[in-house]
Amino acid sequence: MEQSGEYRILTKREDVWASLNDPEVLAKCIDGCQSMQRREDGSFLAAVKARVGPIRATFKANLRLVDLNPPASYVIHADVNGGAVGFAKGSAKVFLEEDGAATLLRYEISARVGGKLAQLGARLVDGAARKMAADFFAAFRLEFASPASAGGLSH
Amino acid sequence: MHSFDYHKPSTLAEAAALHQGAEDAAYLSGGQTLLPTMNQRLAAPSDLIDLAGIGELAGIATASGQVCIGACTRHAEVAASDAVRGALPTLASLAGQIGDPQVRNRGAIGGSLANSDPAADYPAAVLALNAVIHTDRREIAGDDYFLGLFETALEPGEIITRIDFAVPARAAYQKFPNPASRFAVAGVLVADYSGDVRVGVTGAGPCAFRALAFEAALAESLDPRALEGADIEGVIFNSDLHASAEYRAHLVRVMAQRAVAQLL
Repeated sequence: MEQSGEYRILTKREDVWASLNDPEVLAKCIDGCQSMQRREDGSFLAAVKARVGPIRATFKANLRLVDLNPPASYVIHADVNGGAVGFAKGSAKVFLEEDGAATLLRYEISARVGGKLAQLGARLVDGAARKMAADFFAAFRLEFASPASAGGLSH
Repeated sequence: MHSFDYHKPSTLAEAAALHQGAEDAAYLSGGQTLLPTMNQRLAAPSDLIDLAGIGELAGIATASGQVCIGACTRHAEVAASDAVRGALPTLASLAGQIGDPQVRNRGAIGGSLANSDPAADYPAAVLALNAVIHTDRREIAGDDYFLGLFETALEPGEIITRIDFAVPARAAYQKFPNPASRFAVAGVLVADYSGDVRVGVTGAGPCAFRALAFEAALAESLDPRALEGADIEGVIFNSDLHASAEYRAHLVRVMAQRAVAQLL
């Protein structure tokens, strides 16, 4: 599965970078996130209770940040385990560009899913991933938006 | 399958109370999605609340310009109903194209709409036939009901009780089914309300949607050729192992054209 997207965030690049590395902000922006810890080696360990239609599953994700180039880009390697539900492995390249006083965030995701998730949910994986990304960035942008400006955000 | 408590209430109030009191309850309608999901251990509700025993969720009625279908009505009942076939044959035909005989004899309209699978057939009818979805709490306009992938306007614990479809002058449904599951790779229902045309599309996006560009073109000229220059905007078409986004976009136009040709 390949996906990409772009979001304009109304704050300066350093702040976006800091928030993307802040477990508390990440936990707040991921729907169903039950825990998010930063480990000593810099990786993140997350537990997320996800629901897609009738499917309910708790996923444990191990996120490693590599190719760090603050505050312009990094790559997230993700190893996601959903127990009986299946697993996913993938990486996301994240680029931050200055755009006036705002920041343009671009991402490119490449992922593979396996187990029952791939066997039974193949037709839904793409849409579900798109929705999760959209939900995450909608919440992430609100972190920087005053209530008055929230309505004017562009995709 | 994990163990769970099974309840079969006979009133809506009882069902809602059971749902509220349980840790992680699920309503059971026809069970054609929920039960296979539980079998695969992809869901493990603590309580199953079977809605089949609630009398007011059953039955089909026709009233001035409307076909009203109780939420627990099976697809096979809608397909075979003389009342539906007489007043709104397109809806009976659509119901007869859902899944296979097993699915049609167990699956029910309320469960299908509460689940809101992006490839289910009924959502196209809800949008094109200007339906109103009645619940135990309120009425929801069909246009306001589908919000996203498996996401509807229903609140937690809310129960669909009845769906009222507005009878058009004429209508037609065309779908390109997945040959194995009979889910819609793309399905389009076109309804003509004496010049006001509504087009409901399923299978093609994260949830069913109205093809407004098609509606405008068909209001000008109710002719399959009118759709050739009309492009649907603002929809991210589904892409999966069955069909790419480009192919689906193409199928939607072809199905819409076939539906228009059929209703003329």
